[in-house]
Amino acid sequence: MNNKVVAMLLAGGQGSRLKSLTYTIAKPALPFGGKYRIIDFPLSNCTNSGIETVGVLTQYQPHVLHSYIGLGTPWDLDRRHGGVTMLPPFAEIDGNKWYAGTASAIYQNITFLQSCDPEYVLILSGDHIYKMDYEVLVDYHKEHDADVTISVLEVPWEEASRFGVINVDDQMKVLEFDEKPENPKSNLASMGVYVFTWKKLKEYLEADNLIEESSHDFGKDILPAMMENGEKMIAYPFKGYWKDVGTVDSFWEANMDLLDLNSGLNLHDSGWRIYSSNPQLPPQVINRTGNVQSSMVNEGCVISGEVTKSIIFQKVVVEENAQISESVIMSGATVHKGAKLHRAIVPPGFEVPEGFEIIDQQDKVVLLTDEEVEKWKERGEQ
Amino acid sequence: MNLIAVVDASIKKEGLQDLTMKRTVSSVPFAGRYRLIDFVLSSLVNSGVNTVGVFPCYPLASLLDHIGVGKSWDLDRRKNGLYFLPVTQRDGGISSVGAFAGFEEHLQFFTKSSQPYVIVTNSFVVTQLDYKDMLEKHIKSGADFTEAVSNGVQLKTYILSKDLLVELLQTYLDKQVVSVEDVVNLKKSPYTFNEYEYEGYFAVIDSIQSYFEASLDLLNEDKREQLFLANRPIFTKVKDEPPTRYVSGSHVERALIANGSTIMGTVTDSLISRGVYIKKGARVENCIIMQKSTVEENCDLAYVIADKEVYIGEGVVLHGTPERPIVLRKGASVSKEDLR
Repeated sequence: MNNKVVAMLLAGGQGSRLKSLTYTIAKPALPFGGKYRIIDFPLSNCTNSGIETVGVLTQYQPHVLHSYIGLGTPWDLDRRHGGVTMLPPFAEIDGNKWYAGTASAIYQNITFLQSCDPEYVLILSGDHIYKMDYEVLVDYHKEHDADVTISVLEVPWEEASRFGVINVDDQMKVLEFDEKPENPKSNLASMGVYVFTWKKLKEYLEADNLIEESSHDFGKDILPAMMENGEKMIAYPFKGYWKDVGTVDSFWEANMDLLDLNSGLNLHDSGWRIYSSNPQLPPQVINRTGNVQSSMVNEGCVISGEVTKSIIFQKVVVEENAQISESVIMSGATVHKGAKLHRAIVPPGFEVPEGFEIIDQQDKVVLLTDEEVEKWKERGEQ
Repeated sequence: MNLIAVVDASIKKEGLQDLTMKRTVSSVPFAGRYRLIDFVLSSLVNSGVNTVGVFPCYPLASLLDHIGVGKSWDLDRRKNGLYFLPVTQRDGGISSVGAFAGFEEHLQFFTKSSQPYVIVTNSFVVTQLDYKDMLEKHIKSGADFTEAVSNGVQLKTYILSKDLLVELLQTYLDKQVVSVEDVVNLKKSPYTFNEYEYEGYFAVIDSIQSYFEASLDLLNEDKREQLFLANRPIFTKVKDEPPTRYVSGSHVERALIANGSTIMGTVTDSLISRGVYIKKGARVENCIIMQKSTVEENCDLAYVIADKEVYIGEGVVLHGTPERPIVLRKGASVSKEDLR
């Protein structure tokens, strides 16, 4: 693909519904799938789609993201021309400007985009797990001679009201947007992935910036304005796995999907590799007392307990007689002897004490915190 | 650091022939995700050495592909870093470490460096040597040569001054010596010799037998903890493999498993490299299965070394012994029919 496509990856989100998982890191930096961070997916999609210029827009807790992405080496984005550019908000002569919305984040980096001189701008979100060939999307945009192309996904009708729903005609021309409609007229959900013809986008960003009451958001402001003016808007039907891991539950589900060979999310596909930083760790060790089934385990782990249907990140230690099922154990955590975890998410470096059990869990997914451990201790004292 | 290193990766080992048809000894896979040369390179950089000359032998492709510009070891530097120094292939070759004839071809590597000391080491002895400590002891001793040993076993690793090495490169023919190892073994006068006693992990890999033993030894926790030290990590070429997947019905007991593999069968007391497939109903015991090999359904393997990209067809039964493991060469394909 020629370098006339620039990807702008929105990675400033907090992900407040992920609770303590995102207190100190932005949502795109959230560890996922035993080895990855969420942002690896859109970044690797760029690499695999031949997109060589990527701007990453950060705002909330950017440090981990900045040091993680660095020069972009794992994604082959450490390039002389193009490559990855980190774009946090910055101060200007007339004051400091935070990114007020998705559109303002792009607007405030117009200078960067102009220096790239693209024909098309691809807007991506750093919050989603999916594998997508953006080259196909951009080609589709060109073929339809569109001003903007919105990538859409068929979702179950009963879930459609959770999404921005796109109504289209039989030529996939966008007729209407419905942001979280009560009675959806279509089950095509916007994935937050757009291709704009740069000239058009620039025009609309500049106009939107002058509107004081605008929330400077693509879904709420830019796209409706383009609709109103009769610009050519096309929907691109994406087929495949896609998940917004916005909540603790959906984060857990997406991890479990990795263990389901029919979920459509396959990390073992060498034709569309997901790249990530590779800490240099020794192979994983399964000890005599260990047993691992239906799980994914990363390097540097020592497993001496029982692990089923779980995702185990690097450098996790599972001691003897510990039992783990349907759980996500993040890097460097230790599950001490005899602890029992079911549907648990254990944050990085967490120590699960000997004999621990989650109190009053029922069937819920529980994110382990110090409070959960306190609750268990108190129960033991009673 | 006032030390440059030479890794003599040109040594051939007859006993390892089955694993070195298409690669050098230094690029033989070891411990699931590494090549032999990773260990010496990692120990060097972990000791603060940042100028490393690698003397390879043919065939080069596998080693070159693995080391590249030395990025995995942070040896891709503007100043100093990694030097790849191939030498003219000679008939017969020299099987002792630090051959002067080879070094002579790259005299400038030595004369141009500003560091006053040279470490001459190899890639077939796996250690966690602290070369910085060894250099300090060498300087203290005042000897011309220091040789690393462990419980009486020679680790074929030597420190000497650069000036002395350059002098030897100019006079070795008259002195009737062929290599650094040779000079040390002969205790050649007028030089003085010192021994550096090393107490950590070591394994001399010079035959299939020693390779097999050292590999399975890593299943012992104490051995593993000696080799994989948190503050002295072993670096290797990055592969971007996903975590290993254990499918329902798998059974794994006492195994060392690298990333990117899929385990559906039973694995005990074995080492599994990156991207290996162990299919349903297969039994793998006391085996070493290397990168991208496939063990088909209902195979029964014991004491087998399967090199890279080996395909073991459905239902194949192969039983070696601890003393004589069966070696399947790189890319080999075995079916039940072949074994009849």
